[in-house]
Amino acid sequence: MNLLRAFLSNSRLRNATIGIIVLLVMSVVPFFKAPPPHVELAAEALLEDGPKWFTNGLLTTLLVDLIIILMAVFAVSRMKEVPGAWQNIVEMMVEGMWNLTQSIAGHGSANSRKFFPWVITIFIFVLVSNYIGLLPGFGSIGIYHSGAESHAQAELGNQLAMTGAEGVAVAAAAEEGKPVLVPLFRSPSADLNMTLALALISVFMTQFFGVQALGMRYFTKYFKNPFKDGMGAVVGFFELIAEISKIISFSFRLFGNIFAGEVVLLVMAFLVTFLLPSIFYGLELFIGFIQALVFMLLTLAFFTMATVSHDDHH
Amino acid sequence: MDALDKLGISWQLLLSQIINFGLLMVILQQLLYKPVLNMIEQRKQRIAEGLEQADKASNAAAEAEAEKQGILEEARREAQEVRAQATRDAERIAQDVRGRADQEAQEIRMKAQADAEAQTAAVMADARKQIADLAIAATEQILGRELANRDEQERFVADYLAQQNGSGS
Repeated sequence: MNLLRAFLSNSRLRNATIGIIVLLVMSVVPFFKAPPPHVELAAEALLEDGPKWFTNGLLTTLLVDLIIILMAVFAVSRMKEVPGAWQNIVEMMVEGMWNLTQSIAGHGSANSRKFFPWVITIFIFVLVSNYIGLLPGFGSIGIYHSGAESHAQAELGNQLAMTGAEGVAVAAAAEEGKPVLVPLFRSPSADLNMTLALALISVFMTQFFGVQALGMRYFTKYFKNPFKDGMGAVVGFFELIAEISKIISFSFRLFGNIFAGEVVLLVMAFLVTFLLPSIFYGLELFIGFIQALVFMLLTLAFFTMATVSHDDHH
Repeated sequence: MDALDKLGISWQLLLSQIINFGLLMVILQQLLYKPVLNMIEQRKQRIAEGLEQADKASNAAAEAEAEKQGILEEARREAQEVRAQATRDAERIAQDVRGRADQEAQEIRMKAQADAEAQTAAVMADARKQIADLAIAATEQILGRELANRDEQERFVADYLAQQNGSGS
């Protein structure tokens, strides 16, 4: 009884509890119920009759480019010795990345200067791509595809109702004459084309920097004369496999994390419309940052390793 | 190829993403990384310069302080000297003044003495003359007549008095 009175007299605690209860109750009300998540693995073409390459992933990639360039322009135009708030933030990030690059590739080394634009661009691009997918409206605003080609926008952006369907589902829906919503935007990180492209760039540039630093000697890492160094030849073969598998690990790690994160958010929104997704939002923010950092750091580490001669052991 | 298609991978999109990344990198290199790193480097130099200048200024201040101390020390020493000199001078002057005063006092005293002596002598002469006159007058009264030869009488009394004075003193 005393406990109840104490609870009621604490207005903040009381209001918070009432708010939580109201939101949970609202989550059960059918009107607020999020639709079941339809998960589409591939980026979809935006226009039903348009070109297949014009996907929501591509559109969002351009949007990401625009955002990054605008942020850069805002920071750099009217650049001052005594920086404003935004210039300060951007400088802090660039300098932080520069220091990180130097700490791995060597302080003041030519390698640092060579690797820096690649790795920082990976970081920025991946980070913005990861975060842009968390904006309300991503997945919920889109174009309805059907035979009738009805255009509409889904309301209730905070429900993040990602729609669309798998290939089979699209066909089924089209047969039923039900319009299918194709989201206007899709996080580029949740589009395998982007992650695979970055992975290919990362692995290709690793070989490039390796050859630049060591010449043709670089390839002795993979190919050794099996008659002179049998064990080395086997190890080299494994190295080759590992190098190729990097493409897959790079691309699917990023894609998997971000795509799965979006699916988790959708599922949580479907289970409990309010409150529960908020918790996973925080988690997704964290994952988005970590994945950008991981992609960047691994690329940087591979670049650095490729420029070091492996003949030293022999 | 069917699997790739299911994953939404197409070589056109892949290529577009690669080109996109390359372009973005080139743009950002020119637009963001170079200016920002330059600015950071510039600021670092400015700060280093500022620190150096501050160092210099503080050194100069220390030097000025030392100089000031030196000057103060010098001034103090000089003041000490001046004071000592002044004390010596004052003492000398005081001695002079005292000496001169003593001398003057001596002179005044001597002069006063001389004056007194002269006065005494004058008074004595005056007294002697009056006594002589009185004596003459008395003698006239006693004799009941005026002496005929006044000049002679005066001479006579004077001689007498001189005689008295000579024997008396």
